[in-house]
Amino acid sequence: MGQPAVDCKLKIEYRKLIQMSYLNIHAQALNTYDAIVIGSGISGGWAAKELTGKGLRTLVLERGRDVRHITDYPTGNSQPWEFEHRNQLTKEVRDANPIISKCYAFYEGTEHFFVKDAEHPYVQEKPFDWIRGYQVGGKSLMWARQTQRWSDFDFDGPARDGFAVDWPIRYADLAPWYSYVERFAGISGNKDGLATLPDGEFLPPHEWNCVEKHFQQKVAGRYKDRHVIMGRAAHITQPQPIHYQQGRAQCQHRTICERGCPFGGYFSSNSSTIPWAAKTGKMTLRPNSVVHSIIYDEKKSRATGVRVVDTQTKQMTEYYARIIFLNAAALNSNLVLLNSTSNRFPNGLGNDSGVLGKYAAFHNYRAGVSGEYDGNMDSTTDGRRPNSPYIPRFRNVQKQEMGFLRGYAAGFSAGRGSRADQSGIGADLKANLLNPKLGGWYVGSHMMGETIPKETNYVALDSSLKDPFGIPQLKISIVYDDNDEKMVKDYQEQMTEMFTEAGFKNIRLRDDHRNPGLDIHEMGGVRMGRDPKTSMLNKWNQLHAVKNVFLTDGACMTSTSTQNPSLTYMAMTARSVDYAVKAMKKGLV
Amino acid sequence: MERRNALKTLAGSVGGLISLPAWASGWTTETVRSARQFLSLSQADLLADMVETIIPATDTPGAKALNVHQFIQKMVADCYDKPAQETFRKGLDSLDGLARTAFNKPFADGDVTQRTALLTQLSQSTEPAQKDFYSMVKGLTIRGYMSSEYVMTNLTKYQFIPGHYYGCVPVPAKTVSQPK
Repeated sequence: MGQPAVDCKLKIEYRKLIQMSYLNIHAQALNTYDAIVIGSGISGGWAAKELTGKGLRTLVLERGRDVRHITDYPTGNSQPWEFEHRNQLTKEVRDANPIISKCYAFYEGTEHFFVKDAEHPYVQEKPFDWIRGYQVGGKSLMWARQTQRWSDFDFDGPARDGFAVDWPIRYADLAPWYSYVERFAGISGNKDGLATLPDGEFLPPHEWNCVEKHFQQKVAGRYKDRHVIMGRAAHITQPQPIHYQQGRAQCQHRTICERGCPFGGYFSSNSSTIPWAAKTGKMTLRPNSVVHSIIYDEKKSRATGVRVVDTQTKQMTEYYARIIFLNAAALNSNLVLLNSTSNRFPNGLGNDSGVLGKYAAFHNYRAGVSGEYDGNMDSTTDGRRPNSPYIPRFRNVQKQEMGFLRGYAAGFSAGRGSRADQSGIGADLKANLLNPKLGGWYVGSHMMGETIPKETNYVALDSSLKDPFGIPQLKISIVYDDNDEKMVKDYQEQMTEMFTEAGFKNIRLRDDHRNPGLDIHEMGGVRMGRDPKTSMLNKWNQLHAVKNVFLTDGACMTSTSTQNPSLTYMAMTARSVDYAVKAMKKGLV
Repeated sequence: MERRNALKTLAGSVGGLISLPAWASGWTTETVRSARQFLSLSQADLLADMVETIIPATDTPGAKALNVHQFIQKMVADCYDKPAQETFRKGLDSLDGLARTAFNKPFADGDVTQRTALLTQLSQSTEPAQKDFYSMVKGLTIRGYMSSEYVMTNLTKYQFIPGHYYGCVPVPAKTVSQPK
């Protein structure tokens, strides 16, 4: 300001000279961290928290924009009447976004947290609804918050039933880490003592209503091996000191979680792990950063960093670190590895086996059963509940006994609605509208079926189409099979039988034949296994062939079982970071 | 900052209840559109009279005072497809003609009984276009009215923050309907 312009110019020239001579070495030092985490969703957030908590200078790369807790939840406190279309999607939005508009959580109040169809195109070799959230926090902002543990009945599945490959871990490997993440995240639930769904570190469970309780008792009375329990959910029903330390408070039962919770009542990266990592002073969060690929150094036989495209400038920058955690969400983690090619790995990083991208799977949510109940007419509910009862898998648990492999879990809930007489016009209509009558009970259930990973269900890079950042588009080829059809039928039959046992009437069956993907539980492609010839990752979620690259999101899943998977990703991430940092200190990675 | 202005206009239109978070700098014209004028002023006035006939002011405000006609205009303009929009516009345009046939006055000048009778006639019409038009406006009137700030705050006592879920509470006596 006070300096002559010419002086300024000289300075700039001098700086340019310095930059020219030292550019590479300087940039390298500036862009070097102890660890890089790719993705800030539910697993990336945990990687960031654990790595920074162990003292590592960590760069967290997020392809979307920053979303800070509370300040960046624009509709988090919006009243229903504040939405100009009362939360209905406009025709313009629906027409422009046929895929994302199918998602139950996508509405006027949440549009800003979902990826629009044109934003990141992909190739549907087979119909697949890819539901994505590109922002800090990823889909942890809008997730359904169900957090059930796996048991050995799930981990044993592939080996016992002869599909996929054997999981390299068992429940005992993960149990302490489930506890570890549950205590921090805040998981509500009841200790039900079921071998199929191990108990965790629970905050008090949500309440049942009378009809749900009735159903639970009827099912327990008829079947020894079927249980109706309250879902375990990532809601703070009774805050502990660890939650207050995160700045989170008790869940207020608003049930508009997917807009972001200013109370931090449910777990998200935004409310919990990311700010926790930031507090250490060790985290650098870089939003608007699409990872193009992981850099592999053939001389060192290790990954040295990542190539990042800035979504604002479209410039590519390299960042370097000793270890890399890949948590870009299941299919995007596949995409990053597939696009990380070198002489050593011409078919994608760590892909000696050729299985990368293959054996993808998901959860089958196609079917539902609903009905009505005319008992318990003297009781109703008060308030709202961000959770519902859950029926753990009961098919093929102890041994193979059905005409299909594996089984399904189910959600269940009952409720009572009010209805007003809407006939008429004028003052009478108005009076009727304001005096609704309580209706009868309705009951509903939906299935969550395990699908079997197959080589023919895969993702790959399209050979010609590119996304707006010059990265090949992902080609997705994932379909249902005969096993899924049989399971839909069995679920509908069994649920009908249980509903009938409970005295429910007007039972209706649904099979919406939704596309794979709409379950938002896509998994696999970078599966764990014992043998590098048939799997990508070892028991520590570490690439068999590139020891300093770890992957702990849904892509690692060898099989899918029936539980909502996020809790398992969190536990695996904490466990994997613990191993990675110890291994680093021993000089193993 | 064009989009910020658009946002402010929008905020004004819903009662200034939207504050501007940092996030708003990421809004684009795709996510924020300024309110489009879908109906002419006379059509809008007619719609206001129609919604007021469906849900009139009594000891509490009616649909017109709660701007339900504005809400309907917005919904039809933004959320409905072309054929439905045409049904809506044509229905409105035919209303004065029907009123003149029925009671020799424009719709707005009819008394409550006359206007009510005409709308009831529409609801029972054998012409699909008339019936569709009326049921569309009636449905949206009910929706706009019931989801208005006034009704949700003062009459139906919407709990934004219940803070609880009680699973089994006795039914308050006056709200029980007779079992089938």
